[in-house]
Amino acid sequence: MKYTPRELKDNVNISWTSPLKELFLLLGGVLGIVLLVYIALGFAVDVVVKKLPAEIEKDLGGLYSGMYENTEKTPAGLRLQQILDELVKQLPERELQYKARLVHGSRANALALPGGNVIIFSALIKEIDSENTLAFVLAHELGHFANRDHLRGLGRRLVLLFFSVALLGTDSSVTNFIMSSVINVEMKFSQRQEKMADLFALDLLNRRYGHVSGATDFFERMSKKEKMSHILYYFTTHPYPESRVGILNEKIKEKGYAMKEKIPLNDSFKSPED
Amino acid sequence: MEQLIIFAVLITLGYTAGTIAERKHYRSINARESNFLNLPAVTVKNALDEDAEIEKVHLVLGSVVVSIDYFKRFLAGLRNLFGGEVKSYETLVDRARREAVLRMKEKAERANIILNLRIETSSIGQSANKRQALGSVEAIAYGTAVYLKKKG
Repeated sequence: MKYTPRELKDNVNISWTSPLKELFLLLGGVLGIVLLVYIALGFAVDVVVKKLPAEIEKDLGGLYSGMYENTEKTPAGLRLQQILDELVKQLPERELQYKARLVHGSRANALALPGGNVIIFSALIKEIDSENTLAFVLAHELGHFANRDHLRGLGRRLVLLFFSVALLGTDSSVTNFIMSSVINVEMKFSQRQEKMADLFALDLLNRRYGHVSGATDFFERMSKKEKMSHILYYFTTHPYPESRVGILNEKIKEKGYAMKEKIPLNDSFKSPED
Repeated sequence: MEQLIIFAVLITLGYTAGTIAERKHYRSINARESNFLNLPAVTVKNALDEDAEIEKVHLVLGSVVVSIDYFKRFLAGLRNLFGGEVKSYETLVDRARREAVLRMKEKAERANIILNLRIETSSIGQSANKRQALGSVEAIAYGTAVYLKKKG
């Protein structure tokens, strides 16, 4: 047998198409499908949220109560509840029993959870120096309840989480990519909802106190403090504090709300941890 | 947003680094393959002339582990959704096979022929046994190197 060495010219085992072309084609397909699902989901959630009975919302709230139920009835917690109750009296309709909870936390943030739970983190209290400002934050969360934003956000996230995990598993890079792009779309919705809640809160604050002093204090303080880094949790779901101050000031001018003396914060808030 | 930026950086890094490494590897493979053109490696067990006198034989083995870059992995992940040829893995396996054969040949530079060549692959690494993930691929090539006595 004679062996004649010969070089092979083509490689049949490799496709010579551009991988970038393939990437854009596949990515376009995935994003198209995700977008369609997301839009359909958005409509579905909006319909469900409007018709969701208060009973079911209470049950949903039960899921969260375990996380925050153990907050003690401190003087600060009781005072917080009083401020909230005063605000709730001004609301035209009351479907839920609103409960304020003061929770130890390092983020200056407040949450509206299903079932009428308003969570205020202790770090937020440190950024506040008047009762009016605290009332504004509480009224802002009440605005989320009134617009049912807390259910909207929950519904979308739950359904999306379910789908991506069921289809692809938790540690697929595709799931991570889909989730991060979905979260970014969600952010826009949230920023609009935050604006609506801000305006709701401004109106409620005026009805409760007869003036709107202190409404912008918290955001002004935050915008001064956080100029350094914009990539903080608070700003990823909320508009920049500076633009919120601007929008609120415009509204105050437009409606001709009065500015009067602020009520200083109750002493019990001074050191909520102790 | 940060997540998307990190993702874009990883994809670009994976694509650039992966492409550069792959081109370099292919250049090296092609050059070495033409160097070894005179050492055939065949799958048959006996391809020798009947009157050939054998000086010695021994087992030769070459193995290589090649990893996939982030870009290719992502592309293959997308392929998993739609089905079809996973083209982004083709070069990975091709490079691994050819490199393994080359390393095997380097073990027997002066041999006349390598008989009974076998190539095997396996996936190794953290994600080796997960359903949709491929970490790195190992290719092993082995055969019998045959040295013939010089005639005359």
